[in-house]
Amino acid sequence: MFGRNEAMRRSIRLKTGGYPMHIVVLAKVVPDYEVPAGDFELTNSRAHSRYKRMMGLYDENAIESGVQLKEKYSASLTIVSYGIKADIQVLRKAVAMGGEKLSLVLGGSDDPNVIAANLKMAVEKLEDVDLILAGQQSADMDRGIVHGMLAEMLGFAFIPQVAKIEQEDGQWKVIQNTESGSSELKFGGKAVLSITSVPENVPRIPVVRSIFAAKKKPVVQLPEIEGDAMPVDELSVDIPKMESVCEFLPTEDDPAETAKILLGRLREERLI
Amino acid sequence: MKTLIIEMIEPKRLGELVTVSREFCEQPDMVAVGAGQIPGSFGKAYQVADTVAANLVSDLASLILKEGYEIVLLTASTLGSGIAAPLSVKLSAPVVSEVIGIKPDLVVERPLYGGKAVATYKLNKMPAILTIRRKYFEAADLQGFTDSSPLSIAEKKVALIAEKEEKTEGIPLEDAEVIVSGGRGIGAAENFTMLQDVADLLNGAVGASRGAVDEGWVQPTQQVGQTGKIVAPGVYFAIGISGASQHLAGIANAKCVVAINKDEEANIFKRARFGIVSDYKKIVPVLIETLKEEA
Repeated sequence: MFGRNEAMRRSIRLKTGGYPMHIVVLAKVVPDYEVPAGDFELTNSRAHSRYKRMMGLYDENAIESGVQLKEKYSASLTIVSYGIKADIQVLRKAVAMGGEKLSLVLGGSDDPNVIAANLKMAVEKLEDVDLILAGQQSADMDRGIVHGMLAEMLGFAFIPQVAKIEQEDGQWKVIQNTESGSSELKFGGKAVLSITSVPENVPRIPVVRSIFAAKKKPVVQLPEIEGDAMPVDELSVDIPKMESVCEFLPTEDDPAETAKILLGRLREERLI
Repeated sequence: MKTLIIEMIEPKRLGELVTVSREFCEQPDMVAVGAGQIPGSFGKAYQVADTVAANLVSDLASLILKEGYEIVLLTASTLGSGIAAPLSVKLSAPVVSEVIGIKPDLVVERPLYGGKAVATYKLNKMPAILTIRRKYFEAADLQGFTDSSPLSIAEKKVALIAEKEEKTEGIPLEDAEVIVSGGRGIGAAENFTMLQDVADLLNGAVGASRGAVDEGWVQPTQQVGQTGKIVAPGVYFAIGISGASQHLAGIANAKCVVAINKDEEANIFKRARFGIVSDYKKIVPVLIETLKEEA
């Protein structure tokens, strides 16, 4: 006997004649990353708790990519996250963009090993995941390593900096951005892809109907498992001083004069 | 400490990693990814033709265990990020990404919160894997070449179908002493020609913020910032760029930032040495004319 979700996916396969596809998007809720550097404060070596919590910068690109794949290939889409219970209201936006359900592991660790182990547990509970998408890095710790660790833990291939995904001849074809251009890659197995932002995956704004519908979609809350912490001690977290003092050049009268003053100052300081 | 560098054959990237390696050893070993002669002097050098990170992890892990490497260095790049995290799981090794500082006793620094904070870590286990953020370490001058032995790849998980190089005319962004960058405030792709004119006249390169790249006005290879290129020019013109911390993280090592923005409250002015509060369309054309007159 199959569960309701499995039965649904099998019916999709029958309908489309294609591979029954289940896509997971990893999403992390982070403290407001738009707080200007000059206003940024820490408490207990982490962003101040007064900052509002929001979806990670690149995670929204990953969700948009996942929703586009879901629409194109009649796939199912699950949002998986590791975080606190209060994150659910933010994560519902991901569901409203096109996810079918949310699976949240309740935990508060910042350790990448622990987070990856918990995400692995959540993905394995979903059983039949074909493809995992994640933003290229979180917008708080900025490490860009948890998704690669998860891939290795699951035995999936890991491809970072992915800009475009499509199926071709039963395989995945992806465009990966590199420092000098891009690479076209193809693979047949399961993979974790870290998604970069491109004009094609600018996140959609969910319509009101979807926002209300998202409130009724299932949220699975999973207790955290104990993972082995990475053998690294965090000694300190500090806010670096910004010492630049801006000299505003006059602009009221004559732009040409402003340009001359600027070039003169840059030459005085032997910068050009 | 026995140190291994894993990198493409690109002298500047490689030179920066050699500089970092000197914090740990006198002469590192090297795995060169891709084809070509290996510049510089390494204890041992291995070479692998396959440039897809996913295909390299298993065999790199075997090599690291067999040779007993204690420190593994990669650039924080598409290749480096593709290898570092899976490799850390394979080896049960700690990994610290985007390292910007190395201190004695295996203490390293890396930015977080979009560069608004810097964390200091102590590595407690070997081997340890570090990806190094570009432009934070002077590139060592690589003399001569090192012969290599091939590193074979047992399993090809991912096939490389094609590679596309985005051709940029003039100086590469990372090497430019003058960078003229535009953000969403530029308003349209065609307005970037104005920025190109300024860059050409100052022998510089054109960059962009993530916003301008997301609009499709410029290529992703021109993106400057935490998740784009890390640059260290003498002068960085930030035109129509608000100054999000993720962008500022990419220009932390610029000597002088010139901000042109009509919003006097824009965050970019807090990082700028010179500020012009104006519509760039009034200033940049006269800047071009002045530079032409002075040429």
